[in-house]
Amino acid sequence: MDSSSSSALARQTWELENNIVAVDGSSGAAGADADAIYFYDEAAQVKFQQEKPWAQDPNYFRRVKISALALLKMVVHARSGGTIEVMGLMQGKTEGDTFVVMDAFALPVEGTETRVNAQADANEYMVEYSQTNKQAGRLENVVGWYHSHPGYGCWLSGIDVSTQMDNQQFQEPFLAVVVDPTRTVSAGKVEIGAFRTYPRGYKPPDEPVSEYQTIPLNKIEDFGVHCKQYYALDITYFKSSLDSHLLDLLWNKYWVNTLSSSPLLGNRDYVAGQISDLVEKLEQAENQLAHTRFGSFLLPSQRKKEPEESQLTKITRDSSKITVEQVHGLMSQVIKDILFNSVGHSSRLRASLPDLTEPEPMVES
Amino acid sequence: MTFKLHPLVIVNISDHHTRVKAQTHHTDDGSGSSGGSGGAATAVRVFGCVIGVQRGRTVEIFNSFELLYDPLTHSLDRSFLEKKQELYKKVFPNFYILGWYSTGSEAQESDLQIHKALMDINESPVYVLLNPVINHSQKDLPLTIYESELHIIDGIPQLIFVRSSYTIETVEAERISVDHVAHLKPSDGGSAATQLAAHLTGIHSAIKMLNSRIRIIHQYLVAMQKGRHTGLHLLFMCLPYSILLFDGCFI
Repeated sequence: MDSSSSSALARQTWELENNIVAVDGSSGAAGADADAIYFYDEAAQVKFQQEKPWAQDPNYFRRVKISALALLKMVVHARSGGTIEVMGLMQGKTEGDTFVVMDAFALPVEGTETRVNAQADANEYMVEYSQTNKQAGRLENVVGWYHSHPGYGCWLSGIDVSTQMDNQQFQEPFLAVVVDPTRTVSAGKVEIGAFRTYPRGYKPPDEPVSEYQTIPLNKIEDFGVHCKQYYALDITYFKSSLDSHLLDLLWNKYWVNTLSSSPLLGNRDYVAGQISDLVEKLEQAENQLAHTRFGSFLLPSQRKKEPEESQLTKITRDSSKITVEQVHGLMSQVIKDILFNSVGHSSRLRASLPDLTEPEPMVES
Repeated sequence: MTFKLHPLVIVNISDHHTRVKAQTHHTDDGSGSSGGSGGAATAVRVFGCVIGVQRGRTVEIFNSFELLYDPLTHSLDRSFLEKKQELYKKVFPNFYILGWYSTGSEAQESDLQIHKALMDINESPVYVLLNPVINHSQKDLPLTIYESELHIIDGIPQLIFVRSSYTIETVEAERISVDHVAHLKPSDGGSAATQLAAHLTGIHSAIKMLNSRIRIIHQYLVAMQKGRHTGLHLLFMCLPYSILLFDGCFI
C-alpha cells in the first residue's frame, strides 16, 4: 500500500540521518539472532560478578539497553503517579560495559524525594516479587532502580545521589534511571536518563557538557551541587522480533489515537508552571544584570573567560523549548480543524463528482 | 460487553513468549540457530493473568502477569496466582483479575478447563489469545479476545468460547513510548527541525490511514448507489471509526 511504503521510506531516511543502529539487525536477519538478547546465561553472569571489572574503573559502564517492555512499564507507572514521585526496580543483566534492562516492576512506595531509604521499605515486596518471577521464567536479577521526577527533568537529586552511592557500594552492578512522565507527554518524546555515581571523593576527568535541560528554579541548587558526582550513560532501546511485528500491526488500530490526542489540553497545568518558572528566572537575570552593570568596568578580562553560558542564553533556550511544544500542539489542532471542520466548503464546490479524488491535505512524497 | 485493551498487555505477552522461547531453544542445543523458524510444531505456550478495571459492561485491560501452568492437570497453579495477585494489588490497588491469556493459533478444548477454573474469581473471565507466529502478510493484530457463553448444544448447556471485538485504548504517555519504541527515534532532542519533522510525520501517517479508510467507505457508497450492496454493511464499517473520531477530533 502506498501509505506504508512512503512512511517506511520516511522512517529509513529519518534513521539514516540520526545514525540509528537497529539493534535487531537488518530486516533480512533471522529472528533468532535478534531475540538472542533474551537468553539469560546464568554462568556468564556469575563469572562477571566475581571479576568485578567495575571496581577498577568508575567509568566502566557506558551504555544502557532498555527493552521495549521495560520502557513502557516505567513510563506508564511514572505517569500513573501524577505529580507524586514513584519508584521501582529494574531486572536484567550486564554485557561487557552495557547494562541490559529487560523488565521493570513497580514498588509500593511513594514520595521518594524526601525519604532517604525508601528502598528498605519495599525490601520484602522485592524479595517476594523476585522469587515469584524466577518461578515464572524471568531469571534475571535486579540490576537497578528507577524513579520519576514529574515535571522537573531527568537528573539525580542529593538524596538520589547518596542512595545510588550506597547501592554502588553494596549491590553492584547497579544502575539509576530517572523518568519524567510530565515532560514526556508535553514534549511528545520520552524523557529518560540513566546514571551512575562516582565513588565519594573521586574527581572525574573533565566530561563534555551533557545536553542542556531546563531545571525549575526551586530545584536548580540541588541539581548544581551534585551534578558533578555522577555521569550519564547512553540509552538505546531494543525489542524482539515479535514485538516489532506486533507494534507494526498495532499502528493499524492506533492511528486514531494519534489524531485524537490533544497535548495542549492534557498538559495545561504543567505548561503554566513552566511559564511561571521562566518568569522567575527572567526576574533573577534582570536583577543580576542590574548589579553587574556597574561591576563590568572593573574586571572585563575575567568575565570573558567565563565558559558558562550567560543566564539570558539559558532563558532563551528554555522559552524556545516551551514555544516549540506549544506550536506542535497548535499545529495538530489546526490540521484537525482543516480536515474535519472545513469539509462543508469543499463539498459545495465539487457538487456531484462520481469519482472522488480526495483533496490531499499533505504533500505526497 | 465492550473490551478495551492497552498496548502494555500486548508487549507483556509478547515478551513473556520471547523469553521462554529463548531459554528453551538455547538449552536444547542444536536447534539454536534454526529456532527462529522452527517454533511452529513444538510451540511453547505461555500462560498468564490479565488485570484491569471493569465498569458495567466495559472491560478495560491494563496489565498482565505470568502464571505457572501444570501440563499434567491442565490447570494453572492457584497458590502462585494468589501470591502474584497480592503483590500486584499493593502497587495497583484498583486492578482486578479480569481473565487470563495464552499464546497459540487457536483456542483449544483444554483451555475451557482453565477458563472454568477462573470463574470463581471473576464470574465471566476473558480469554486473550495471542498468535506468536510472525506472518508478514497479515494486516490485522493476531490477538483475539474470547468470552465464554452458555449455549444449548444438542440439548446440553455447554460453555463455548465466543469471539469478541476490542479496541485499543491508551493513555498519552503509553502512546508516546509505544511510538518511540516502534520507530526507534533517538532519545535526545535533536534540532528543532528534526523534532518538527518527526511530529509532522506522525500526523501525516495517521492522516494517510484516515484517508485510505475514507476511500474504502466512499467506494462502498458508490457501489451502493449502483445498487450492489445494502446499507447494513456500511453501518458496521463506519461505526467504530466514527465513534472514535467524534470522541477525539472535534475538541
